[in-house]
Amino acid sequence: MFLHNLNPCIKALTIVLLVIMLALIFDPITPFLFMILTVILTFLGGNINWKKYCLYFVPFLVIAFGMLWTTIAFADAPANPHEVISLVGFDVPKESFVTALALAFRVLSVAALSLLFILTTNVVDFILSLIQHLKVSPKIAYGVLAGYRFLPMMKDELAIIRSAHRVRGFNHAKTLREKWNQYKMFSIPLLASSIRKAERTAIAMESKGFTGGKERTFYRRITITPSDWFFLCMMIMSLLGIAYISWEFGYFKWYNGEL
Amino acid sequence: MNNWRFKEIVVMSVLSVVFAVVYLAFLPIGKVLVGFFGPIGYDLIFGIWFIVSIIAAYIIRKPGAAFISETIAAMVEVMLGNATGPMLIVSGMIQGLGAETAFAVTRWKNYSSWVLMAAGVGSAVFSFVYGYFISGYAALSTTYVSGMLVTRMISGALIAGVLGKALSDGLAQTGVLSSFALGKEFRKKRTA
Repeated sequence: MFLHNLNPCIKALTIVLLVIMLALIFDPITPFLFMILTVILTFLGGNINWKKYCLYFVPFLVIAFGMLWTTIAFADAPANPHEVISLVGFDVPKESFVTALALAFRVLSVAALSLLFILTTNVVDFILSLIQHLKVSPKIAYGVLAGYRFLPMMKDELAIIRSAHRVRGFNHAKTLREKWNQYKMFSIPLLASSIRKAERTAIAMESKGFTGGKERTFYRRITITPSDWFFLCMMIMSLLGIAYISWEFGYFKWYNGEL
Repeated sequence: MNNWRFKEIVVMSVLSVVFAVVYLAFLPIGKVLVGFFGPIGYDLIFGIWFIVSIIAAYIIRKPGAAFISETIAAMVEVMLGNATGPMLIVSGMIQGLGAETAFAVTRWKNYSSWVLMAAGVGSAVFSFVYGYFISGYAALSTTYVSGMLVTRMISGALIAGVLGKALSDGLAQTGVLSSFALGKEFRKKRTA
């Protein structure tokens, strides 16, 4: 699947560029079409479970809806207050409605792009690529990898702390308030034990010869191939193409200094 | 970066990883609030998303701690597979820069409550300017937008500044920070 094989850094760069371009567009048609294109591409180019995809996508629908109604409710005074459209019994200025729709679709198209990245990228590859291509200091990158590996351990640690509390007579939290108090009580021991472990890991790594120098060699090299650049160009061209289409049909509108 | 000990880097990373999980846990809460109140919903609890820069800077007390920890937290959020994708790394960097600015003004010497709160406010302002352009707040009325900014600043000062300091002090009391700047200061205070 070609999305999985792309260089993670180039993939991230592509998406950042696209999001910046999307942020400048203020009409609903362009982000809507681009969102559809992104979703299709994700399923064609990646090996993705559609149930998982929907699960990730649904929260963004909620945000987009919140964006939609507040932009209508708190919009600036429109230039043509007489052009109204009826929306579930309310008269809404057409201009506000179109802007609101544009912002909502922008949220969704950014979400689709993000899911494309998240669901097709391997964490270790991403970090190795950061060191090898973006020259991130290996000291920090390996520190992050070590920290990342702590996560499953923290789950066990939480279970231990919980049992320790129960042995000493604290009962299961039932109400929301009790749960909140319990988390407050757990947070310090949980953090303290993670810090202890982190210190030990750091000492262990240093004692085994990890210097974090830039001159280190790698067992696995992540490569940048022409197809990565092809992906970047294709994505940007297709956004420009969609913008051109909506411009042809007279929908296109972009940021021109509204403050 | 050269005057950092490796131990400090790993501890900072671990803090970032822990708080990345906390950040993710607060996203659905933010989403619910946004569903009810509109974009200002996020601003009510926005301070929680700055907390790791304040904690890391307060514990380690070296230039860059606020910026790097927030960036790592954002990166881990992306790796855990939720949130808003690689763009989140950019917003994390901007938030970190905001907090770092406040510490830079004191030349990384002063870590009193006021400076920590100022760091929270710094993150709030920086992230707001960024959000203004990315999320198109330009389409909203000026009153609403200023309301959002003020809410976010207060949230930054209280949740990130005050709560962050309280958590770090609690950690220092356990003694695990004895080889870090905060732990050393704590010990000095105790013996004095």
